Amino acid sequence: MNIATNLSTTQSISAPQTQTGAQVNLAVPKAQVTALPAKMELQALSVFYNTFQAIAEITLTIPANQITAIIGPSGCGKSTLLRALNRMTDLTPNAHVEGAVTLDRENIYAPGVDVVDIRRRIGMVFQRPNPFPMSIYENVAYGPRLYGIRQRKVLDEIVESSLQRVVLWDEVKDKLGQSGMALSGGQQQRLCIARALAVEPDVILMDEPASALDPIATLKIEELMQILKNTYTIVIVTHNMQQAARVSAYTAFMMINQNRAGTLVEFGQTSQIFTNPRNKQTEAYVTGRFG
Amino acid sequence: MEITVDTPAILPARPHYITTHKGYGRRKTTNGVMLSLTGLATLLALAPLFWIIGYVLYKGGQSINLALFTQLPRPVGMAGGGVLHAIEGTLLLTLLSGLIALPPGLLAAFYAAYHPNTPLGVALRFGTDVLAGVPSIVIGIFGYALLVKPAGHYSALAGAVALAILMMPTIIRTTEEMIRLVPGNLREGSLALGAPEWKTALRVTLPAALNGIVTGFLLGMARAAGETAPLLFTALGNDRFEIGRMLRSGQSLPVALWKLIEQPVDSLPLTLYKYTQQPSAERINQSWAVAFVLLAIVLLANIAARLWVQARSAKLRG
Repeated sequence: MNIATNLSTTQSISAPQTQTGAQVNLAVPKAQVTALPAKMELQALSVFYNTFQAIAEITLTIPANQITAIIGPSGCGKSTLLRALNRMTDLTPNAHVEGAVTLDRENIYAPGVDVVDIRRRIGMVFQRPNPFPMSIYENVAYGPRLYGIRQRKVLDEIVESSLQRVVLWDEVKDKLGQSGMALSGGQQQRLCIARALAVEPDVILMDEPASALDPIATLKIEELMQILKNTYTIVIVTHNMQQAARVSAYTAFMMINQNRAGTLVEFGQTSQIFTNPRNKQTEAYVTGRFG
Repeated sequence: MEITVDTPAILPARPHYITTHKGYGRRKTTNGVMLSLTGLATLLALAPLFWIIGYVLYKGGQSINLALFTQLPRPVGMAGGGVLHAIEGTLLLTLLSGLIALPPGLLAAFYAAYHPNTPLGVALRFGTDVLAGVPSIVIGIFGYALLVKPAGHYSALAGAVALAILMMPTIIRTTEEMIRLVPGNLREGSLALGAPEWKTALRVTLPAALNGIVTGFLLGMARAAGETAPLLFTALGNDRFEIGRMLRSGQSLPVALWKLIEQPVDSLPLTLYKYTQQPSAERINQSWAVAFVLLAIVLLANIAARLWVQARSAKLRG
């Protein structure tokens, strides 16, 4: 978890800043630029439930192949923000999104974008492990099957490699036919991560992935994240500040403003957010004085 | 937004209103009395159930014999004969009505669960509640007007449709409840992989809710199997009904099956009703046996479904 040295090697690369979304308001402030190539960019992203604004114009850059943590007190819109990143907000009746979210510089909210493709490239892991009521094998093969993979041999390979990548293969290889719901909580969560990996995403969104797990299972998930970040971009929402400090390279701190809309207070390298926050509210939060 | 904690300068004095407590004696007595009352009420509620089952088993058991299951009825006054026609008819009617009610019931339940607040969803919920309260004889008359009158004759099909209408509210409401009980994040997990809603419903939500759905479906079937009133106007009764003879008649299977469902048919409750009207000790005894068989079929089906549900849950939980 040597964040500082990780970053120093790539410091010279500047993030490409492009405005691709047609509906992007150019007058909004630029993202707080990170020194790494951007995987995703949020440009003045707002989320509304009916007329209530849950997220107010958040602009930030999610660096590629890093873990970015989103922290903040309950009800500040962290999960809403995360769900907006792979258009899960589409599923909430009366929710609508303004601004833009880009993935590899393409606005995922642009008209004509295939939402299924977006969800394939941006996977999601939920707070409570949610294995489907089917076998371990079928849980992992579910995604690839959606994308037309039928041959048993290919599916076998995908299942094995996905389970290996979440370090679950050795524990389940002899009982792939058993129900996924029969595993322990930590194993279930790793199964859910394997299920997300099986459709070959670029980005994995994790919504408090360890909050329903015991400390040892949590540790395993965190170790897993460190392995996965080499090949995937990870965004994690967490209540646990120690977890954010342990696993992430970048941290976004969110709070609600006077209109109860979630706003971005500060975004930066995790080491800076936790040791040298620029904002007084960030400091109060990370030092545990509120929240 | 400044973060401050308001601390009053002077705290109110610590209260001490509670000086005595009444001890546990009275609580224990109250608890004992109430527990006895609820226990007694439970026994009272269970008594008719065991009484009915016990009495039917006792009276029916005396008249049970093999011929009951293998032979058609003999004319009144003649000893012997059986109710094969009614057993087969009940199985056919229940199965057929289940087949008719299941697809629309399931789909409507999914609609109601996914769109509870749309006008159609509200109408559906209201409609099923009203339908559940409609007297079954009214549904029988409806079946008569809809199917018997235009066709010019009574039929198993008309009976099955009437029974299907009868079991529809049970199927829709229980299925809807079960679908709602499936955790939302299971559905989201599938949608987040890019799965379409219909596939999510079919492959994730339905299996997760299946145990409850099967139970609800069975309740509906059990109710249909025990109904008499709607069949009076639709299936009428047919004491020469015999599936085996129809299938052996040399006709092709589809034709034989069609003939089977387009002729009048008997059922156990219908037979029970008719036999108890007859001035014959033989028939009265047989009607007890019929009640016995009806009860046994419904109970066995329930037990089988419960075992299946248990086995399935055990497999899912590992």
